[in-house]
Amino acid sequence: MSSNEKVRTHQELEDDVCPCGEVAPEEEAHLQKEIAQAQDAGRAQHAAGAEPPLRIGVYICRCGGNISDVVDVERVAETVRLIPGVTTAKVHTFVCSDPGQHMISNDILEENLDRVVVASCTPFLHEQTFRGAVARGGMNPYLYEHVNIREQVSWAHKHDPEGATQKAIRMIAGAVGKLRYAQPLEQIKLPNHRRALVIGGGLAGMKAASDLSARGISVLLVETAQQLGGHLNQWGQVYPSERAAKEITAELAKRVQSDPRIEVLLSWKVAEVSGFIGNFKVAVESLYPLGGKQSRIEATVGAIIMATGFRPYVPRNGEFLFRTDPCVVTLPEFMQAMQGATPGATKFTFKGRTVRNVAFLHCVGSRQLDGVHQPDENGRLNTYCSRTCCTTILQQSLALHQRYPSVGIFDFYQDIRTYGRGEENYYTNASKAGVVFFRYNGEEPPRVKPTSPEHTSRGALTVTVKDTLTWGEELEVPVDMVVLGTGMIPGQIPDLIDQMKLATGEDGFLQEVHPKLRPVEVAVNGVLLAGTAQGPMNIQESLSAAGAAAVKAAAMFAKEDVELNPYVAEVDLSLCTGDAQCVTQCAYEGALHIVEMEVNGEVVPRAKVNAGLCVGCGACVAVCPHRAINLNGWRLDQYEAMVEGIAAELPGQACEPELVSIR
Amino acid sequence: MSHPFVPKILVLATEKCAYPGADAVGKAHQEYPSNVYILRVPSPVLFPEDFFLGCYSKGIDGVLIAACGSDCPYHGAYDKLAARIDGLTSHMNAGGLEIERIRLTAICTVCIKAFLKEIAQMTDNLHRVGPVNRTLAEQLRRQSVQRLQAKAASAAFVPAMQGGLI
Repeated sequence: MSSNEKVRTHQELEDDVCPCGEVAPEEEAHLQKEIAQAQDAGRAQHAAGAEPPLRIGVYICRCGGNISDVVDVERVAETVRLIPGVTTAKVHTFVCSDPGQHMISNDILEENLDRVVVASCTPFLHEQTFRGAVARGGMNPYLYEHVNIREQVSWAHKHDPEGATQKAIRMIAGAVGKLRYAQPLEQIKLPNHRRALVIGGGLAGMKAASDLSARGISVLLVETAQQLGGHLNQWGQVYPSERAAKEITAELAKRVQSDPRIEVLLSWKVAEVSGFIGNFKVAVESLYPLGGKQSRIEATVGAIIMATGFRPYVPRNGEFLFRTDPCVVTLPEFMQAMQGATPGATKFTFKGRTVRNVAFLHCVGSRQLDGVHQPDENGRLNTYCSRTCCTTILQQSLALHQRYPSVGIFDFYQDIRTYGRGEENYYTNASKAGVVFFRYNGEEPPRVKPTSPEHTSRGALTVTVKDTLTWGEELEVPVDMVVLGTGMIPGQIPDLIDQMKLATGEDGFLQEVHPKLRPVEVAVNGVLLAGTAQGPMNIQESLSAAGAAAVKAAAMFAKEDVELNPYVAEVDLSLCTGDAQCVTQCAYEGALHIVEMEVNGEVVPRAKVNAGLCVGCGACVAVCPHRAINLNGWRLDQYEAMVEGIAAELPGQACEPELVSIR
Repeated sequence: MSHPFVPKILVLATEKCAYPGADAVGKAHQEYPSNVYILRVPSPVLFPEDFFLGCYSKGIDGVLIAACGSDCPYHGAYDKLAARIDGLTSHMNAGGLEIERIRLTAICTVCIKAFLKEIAQMTDNLHRVGPVNRTLAEQLRRQSVQRLQAKAASAAFVPAMQGGLI
């Protein structure tokens, strides 16, 4: 099992996503020493003050029908109102909307609420949203509890509305119980280092760096190649502008290299990454010895932009006679050949062969099928569409036609995917220019073989295709050159993926949190995706993604501090006896130890947590016979209260008296 | 009046793996019985034996620990958890509480089928063993607390200083 396969295979939320999607998932990174101080300060603020009777507000979301079509939300509200301590229970169509959030913060102020429960979608979407709403009402955000009644109730029990309604009530009863034992907590604040690392100096990396700098953020741009520009440097004109790719990269490279806020390291690589949002520690190393100069630099950055790009698919030797016949080339190789060509020449010669007819094959290395194609060395098939090859093939066909009008062009496709603005023109124009199209079925791709000796005069190579445009007729097309429409495969960055704990999709590309709600963010806070590191994109899309990543990073830098959830262990000194059972369980050096302290005039051993080193696993909690150590936010008594809420009879129903205790 | 037995199942689902896995089940609009309750936990390693026995004494018929398995983000936590559940199982066995009521498994963020299979299996098992004996569970829970206290007391003078005095 692997956690690397998550979001892309999830059903996309389509229309049922909530209107606002700003979330920051829980952070549980290794914290620094500063945390301990920050925490102590927060603790002191809340130390004083006696416990007033609880006033809990419960908000139940209809999610525009996603929940209320199954769960009887009105009945849920009526029932949970009977739970002792609940003073307000309201239903709203979209609690996450501005009016919904406003309702909560308003109620806190007007009705003096001191605890809030929202029953809505998964906490991964809106727990942070509601913590924010609660904080705006002046309440401590950790006195908020989130109940998931969409993914884990209404969507999972569609045909059991009664059961779903009861489950929602019990889950809320559990959350109310948990809040009885909740303590105000302070987020751990750490300095936010206002500098970004951009990994990769291709188009997306340069764009992200330049956009970040435009917002006043300094950038370290690390590129393994000797020059900026990436793959584009090797290509000629690019669609849809038909500008020379080199011009585009040169323009951006000039901007980046002359920018005092951007430090560019060429022929360097990122060797180590650790830390977390606002506080990543990175080490970069020169790929070549620098003759006395420092060849390793360490830096602290607040955000990392992954602009590591793609690799072009390289066919296996012999695949469509690749590397067997000199005139079977990949699309990038053909683009390079076209660059060198003289326009208006009458005779097209390639590798000493006169080329009269050229075949273009789509989907080489893309949209691969199990049983038809051979998996790569990792056992993976490239089942995805590379998205850029169709238009590029048509664009290159036209380029070829313009340079050598007499050359015959044959195009073998399964689908023509010229999806972008202006791209369909390439298809229309190619048709007008006399390109001959053959359509094959994905399960029966065309075959390339040397022409039989008696027919070599027609062309050295023969492409055989079962053409569905002529109702499955098997056709043989003699050509002199075959261009393989190769797509994109993931960049090779296993060390970075491992060190940064990045998720990849089944396709091997880096995976975003959510394709619609958070398209350039990854599950690791502070790391953003720019361009084809995430999947096949064309130039426009890469630039858009890079721009989005830069804006996201800039938004993160708007805050002076990085705030982390304070879910670390804490010792209750009134219960600790210094048994040190907990210490034996802790796997993190220095996170938990025994210290001597004075209690009632006596010097005694007691457990002490170093919050900066505690990761919040809770291994220590289970072994304390006095329950003196707990995880903040996830206390044992809170779990017991949740179980009680779930196991007890529904509030307001007749039942055995000893079991009714929601309290 | 008698109702057919509907077992109450508690799923302790890890925040990084099984909880999003359970979300994925809902997102895929796959259904499972509504008497399955899912609680989010950083790592189930935080629960002492008496917590599980307490669940049974409160009326939970079965507990499914849906952990991260080898993907556990915390160093050594999964092995400790597995050892603890081993201990719990043998105590339940010795005390006469059906071990079908506890199961440790790993559920990933996209393990929709595995999640549904585990729920179906536990439901089947619980139907076979019937409702939990809450009184027995409570007795075992108290024994477990005593055992924990005794263990700490016997060890009290030995490792107290091993953590290093500052």
